Amino acid sequence: MQPTARRWTRVALAGPGAIVTAVVMMAGMTQWLPSGTAGIDNLVLPLVLLPILWAALFFHACLDRRLGRVAIVAGGLLLVHAGLLAYAFTAGHPTAVKEKGR
Amino acid sequence: MINLAQRETKLMVAVHGWSGILLGLLLYAVVVTGTAAVFADEIGTWSAGHVATQSAFARPHGKVIERLGAQTPSKYREAVDLFETGDHDLGVFFHRHETDAAGNLISRGVFYRLDEASRVVEQRPATNEEVFGATNDNALSSFLVETHVRLHVPNPWGLLLTGILGLAMLVAAVSGLLIHRHLFKDIFTLRRAAKPVLFNRDRHNVAGTWSLPFAFVLAFTGSFFSFYGTVGIPIVAMAAFGGDVEALNETVYGNPGKPDARPAAMSGTDRAFADAIRRAGDAPTFAAIENFGRADAKLTTYHPPSEGGLAPISLLYEAGTGAFVQVKPLIGQRPSTGGTLAAIMSPLHFGNFAGVLSKGVWFGLGFAMCYVIYTGLRLWLVRREAEARSLDWLSRSVVVVGLGLPLALLVTAAVFLLTKPLDTAVYWVPTGFVLASLALIVAGAVWSSAAAYARALVLWSGLAMLALPILRLVTGGPGWSTALTASQPVIVALDCALLLAGGWMTWQRLGSHLRSGRSDRLVLEPAE
Repeated sequence: MQPTARRWTRVALAGPGAIVTAVVMMAGMTQWLPSGTAGIDNLVLPLVLLPILWAALFFHACLDRRLGRVAIVAGGLLLVHAGLLAYAFTAGHPTAVKEKGR
Repeated sequence: MINLAQRETKLMVAVHGWSGILLGLLLYAVVVTGTAAVFADEIGTWSAGHVATQSAFARPHGKVIERLGAQTPSKYREAVDLFETGDHDLGVFFHRHETDAAGNLISRGVFYRLDEASRVVEQRPATNEEVFGATNDNALSSFLVETHVRLHVPNPWGLLLTGILGLAMLVAAVSGLLIHRHLFKDIFTLRRAAKPVLFNRDRHNVAGTWSLPFAFVLAFTGSFFSFYGTVGIPIVAMAAFGGDVEALNETVYGNPGKPDARPAAMSGTDRAFADAIRRAGDAPTFAAIENFGRADAKLTTYHPPSEGGLAPISLLYEAGTGAFVQVKPLIGQRPSTGGTLAAIMSPLHFGNFAGVLSKGVWFGLGFAMCYVIYTGLRLWLVRREAEARSLDWLSRSVVVVGLGLPLALLVTAAVFLLTKPLDTAVYWVPTGFVLASLALIVAGAVWSSAAAYARALVLWSGLAMLALPILRLVTGGPGWSTALTASQPVIVALDCALLLAGGWMTWQRLGSHLRSGRSDRLVLEPAE
């Protein structure tokens, strides 16, 4: 890849890529984090961790020399969490949790 | 010692510089107002001349609250917020939760204000925005908080903007840490005899390094608060509750117990408040009753952290009888990792976990952050001075914001003191700030040089600080003996702080002028 293309790919991964991945991770984490003793950890921890998730993805995209690895890590996290969300919606999990919440 | 390869160090230096230069001026505005807002309560007391010290929750308002509940339309008895307003009056807001035309959750109902003798001195239909918005009494402190929280940009954009600024600060803090090759050496390196540029870089490094953990904590907690309601809650509600925000709130903040809609007397509030003050060691800062007038009504009191603690305390009571139910985590019905983490975000951000002492430390570190941002911007400009002379406008902008903003805030305080007796402070405080800012911007654009303008701004700020305590007294504020007799030392302390800071700044400017016979020595060398 040309240096200019590499630079812009890195900018895309550190900028919009990190934002989208962090937000999707926050949503997806509600599906796999344990709910804890009060039954809320899976809801509250992703909210608390959002800035840290974003910062970790941003600095990884900036500092990892291997651009492919940055893309694999960010893309993998994005796909796994988006997949969890898609599964939850198709299996009707949000409604089930809603009933439990009420 | 941090070992980052040269290429990565260079990249981090660029990230550090650009994160500051692109958002630094707005970030500076947020940090300056945030630093002042650490003492928002004290500034509110000082500016409004409040001398009452007994909490409204320590007074027996229970019977009146019960009567007001009976006369309020039943649809607004879904919840009641109780809080102090004015000079320790009690605000009582009966309301229900609704979704407005834009799809936002709001509270709508009837607001009452009770004075110290439990007389209803104000009664009006209201929404939560109106109830918790600025009043003539708190217009100044409310303005400071509003500027810090959302820079007066309408929701949700204001919160998103300050959230992005928080992330920029996070980036600047972490990249600042990574580019320090000799972190511990840098903490103590201050080469006074070196060239001005080097000396000023040392000062930026020392202040930045010492306040690095604080910058990280502030940036993290600040962006958490900004994104919590705007991005976090809707997305988590979508993911876990199919978009039902009320269901999410009920799960996270709801109280335990089975619904019981039978009517019941609400005579337990006084007993509950007395018990809460005894258990927590301090009066509540806020209280809420849910299902007012029903057998399952619950009263929750919210208190600052107890001595030696970090997380705020909340206590749960039966509203009907005042019987204590449990110590309740702020979030969730039982203690949990997520609940505790979310609960300590507030004291970590506001520094209110150990009274005036922690607030003082937070104020000092906030001031250091302002210095770091300001000097960082100046350094960035000086490094590019030779290659880009067209940056004069940016140099002036840094002076206008860096030194002009604090002066505009001081002018705003003066405007508040002048307009509060006329009952027009809510209008004039933001208007005064805008007018003062415009005047300072225009003056900055036409002044002979940025350095000369900086010197003038320091002198004017010093004089404004000296004038404020006098203006407060002239406009009817309580004198020192009245304040001290009423056990309200905050007023005297803030007067003294203003006189000392103003006197020092004025002496620095005028003293330097008299000593050297010229006025261009003191304040801002290009690299400062």
